[in-house]
Amino acid sequence: MPMKLVVCVKQVPEITNVRVNPDTGTLIREGVASILNPFCEYALDHAVKLKAADPEIEIIAVSMGPPQAVSALLRCLELGADRAVLVSDRKFAGADTWATALTLAAVIRRAVPDADLILVGKQAIDGDTAQVGPEIAEILGMAQIMYGVEMSLTSSRKRIRVKREVEFGYEVLEARLPALVSASKGETLRRMPSLADVLSARRKELRAVTAADLDLSESELGLAGSYTQVVKVFPPSPKEGGRKIEGLEPAAAANEIAAFLKSEGYVG
Amino acid sequence: MYEIKSQITETAEFEKIRRVDGFRNITAEFPAYLTDESKFSCQPFDFLFFPKSEAELSAVMSEMARRGVKATIAGARTGLVGGCVPNQGALVSLENLDRVLALYYDGPSAEWRLKAQCAVSLRAIAAQLAAKSIPDIERCADGLTLLEMDRFRQDPDSYFYPPDPTEMSASLGGTVATNASGARTFRYGPTRDWVRGIRVMLANGELLDLPRGKYFASPSGEFTVTDSAGRDYKVKIPTYRSPRTKNTAGFFAAAHMDLVDLFIGSEGAFGVITEITVGLLKRTPKISVVQFLASDDQAIDLVRALRTDSRIRLDFLEMYSGTAIDLLRERQRRDAKSVGTPTIPETARSALFFELDFDPAAKEVAMEALDAAVRAGGASLAESWAAYENRELDRLKNFRHILPETINAIIAERKKRHPGLHKLGTDLAVPNERLADMWAVYRDALAGAGLEWAAFGHIGNNHVHINIMPRDMADLQKALGLYQMFAEKAVAFGGSVSAEHGVGKLKAKFLKTMFSPAEIEEMRAVKRALDPAMLLNPGNIFEE
Repeated sequence: MPMKLVVCVKQVPEITNVRVNPDTGTLIREGVASILNPFCEYALDHAVKLKAADPEIEIIAVSMGPPQAVSALLRCLELGADRAVLVSDRKFAGADTWATALTLAAVIRRAVPDADLILVGKQAIDGDTAQVGPEIAEILGMAQIMYGVEMSLTSSRKRIRVKREVEFGYEVLEARLPALVSASKGETLRRMPSLADVLSARRKELRAVTAADLDLSESELGLAGSYTQVVKVFPPSPKEGGRKIEGLEPAAAANEIAAFLKSEGYVG
Repeated sequence: MYEIKSQITETAEFEKIRRVDGFRNITAEFPAYLTDESKFSCQPFDFLFFPKSEAELSAVMSEMARRGVKATIAGARTGLVGGCVPNQGALVSLENLDRVLALYYDGPSAEWRLKAQCAVSLRAIAAQLAAKSIPDIERCADGLTLLEMDRFRQDPDSYFYPPDPTEMSASLGGTVATNASGARTFRYGPTRDWVRGIRVMLANGELLDLPRGKYFASPSGEFTVTDSAGRDYKVKIPTYRSPRTKNTAGFFAAAHMDLVDLFIGSEGAFGVITEITVGLLKRTPKISVVQFLASDDQAIDLVRALRTDSRIRLDFLEMYSGTAIDLLRERQRRDAKSVGTPTIPETARSALFFELDFDPAAKEVAMEALDAAVRAGGASLAESWAAYENRELDRLKNFRHILPETINAIIAERKKRHPGLHKLGTDLAVPNERLADMWAVYRDALAGAGLEWAAFGHIGNNHVHINIMPRDMADLQKALGLYQMFAEKAVAFGGSVSAEHGVGKLKAKFLKTMFSPAEIEEMRAVKRALDPAMLLNPGNIFEE
């Protein structure tokens, strides 16, 4: 049996161009291009590398989002995914990370019940929660390894070995398959499809899945199935300049800093 | 009509116009005005003016004419041939004539048009059209202009100004005065093709309003301009014909030509362009492709194939020679991030860069003709990079822009040992049917001379920039000899010695390679007819 790799991806606004409406404090989305979340692209990149070592592997890209999220899936197909599933329904609107994970888990169970490995980006650059991946793993009862930067299958193809980022360096972990791994940027240099890839992507299978196709009740979907709600979105207050100690000898500057830390109660 | 009257404009009080007197003060306070992007050095000059309106400009021009002071006109100073570097007299900077005046729909031609003062930058035009927001117009109180602006905003389509000289900080007036072109000239033509009208101030301070399609040369090839005092200025159109290539060398000349075309690309020889009306085009989604190839010769063959198949409509068609690819590959080895693309394929020994229409959402994408042409040339679309999202297009743009930057860095390094060293970049174009011949000249001569070089640029217009990177002064001498030989060959093939950079002061000597003394004298006669005291832009085009 060829192995099946599911890559869960999200379409996000191209963040460098996002402006905040000063009156309402909400993001201005008009005229802002949508792109495949870069971390999702890194996850796909790992899938494509695994497939390069083992051409039998099938890569399935899955995205939950509005109909226009199809463009993020097309990019996955251009970059090497074999087929794609778009999970789209008005009933999914307003989903928080839990409702999203529950829906994606249901889709994977239904569309790719024999998935060997699920790859996700470590987080999306719009919400930045980093929760959906771990939640999917929990719901599906899989092992999970986060912040992977290098991945390989063991020779038996029963386990995945992942080099992952930790606070002070890296660690290498192995998990028995099926498992879920999230991808960090690492040394990834984003791929670029060839024109042949762009053309053939448009001939690959792209399936649509709606709420009716899933084994979930309406109370588990979208806003109704969400435990959290976004109350307000606002830009962070600008950082203050801080205080610079300049023009002093190192010892005098150190004394000054120590006095400051003491007076503010940071040190005893 | 071939007779036109120039008009007096209201004039301002000369003494109130912002100016700096004396070369010492100019040097101290405004050093940037001593040169332009060419880095050519100026000669001492006496005045620097900053007129804010046509009235002020007219006062400056009249006063300078009265005193017999010659004036150099500057836009954004982005030119590469020293056109706005003064060699005497006065420098008039137009930078404050920077308002967008109107945006309107021209019914008869079914086209949106933009009217602006000369100093509005291409970048401002591009950004404001993309955002469909033009602050100068939104602030104006004219009801009709505002109404048209509203109509533009409600138009579901998006529009752009097609000419795309690489330097987006260039002023619109400067690009019209030099008939600037860019990569997309391949499909959309040079600036000339998009100018729908101009307003020009003559050396005497009077104005000409020149919509395109109103004033044509008489059957005997003449125009007559009559000034407000009733004096006639008779202009005889030169008898030479402009080459069938991209060209900025020499004044435009053609039978029954439009008077507008005499001013476009004249490098300010006859007057100061103060206002311009340009046509806009509907924006459609595009895909950019870097197609890797096995050799430069394969690239040249593919260019010819892509141009002859009418089903293939490319917006631009650029080349990277094998030597250019090697430079980028080397840079990628040292600093992959600055290149920003995946690794250049091992087998790539040349590449073409092109753009074509592409709707990413379309179910069916017809590219059979392109695929067939690439296959027939012995290449494969699988050996390419394609981009259509903004951030991806930027990666390919960067891949193009770091090439000249890489070359400049190499030269800067060598200059440390040989201070007199500089790079040599050609700007020659030939007609379509001589592309392969011209390429063979470049290839054989460069290989024979053992020089280091890279070629890139507008191969679709048979206008590739050969950049020679001399290693020492002996190399430089060899390169200068080759440049002259290349220019002579290009002219012999019916081409141009200056396809896009203009003549200015730096290339005035090359004009003699392309035109006979009699033809240059015909140009001088046009100049004398419209600017009898030879006051405007001294030293440009005609060596002094």
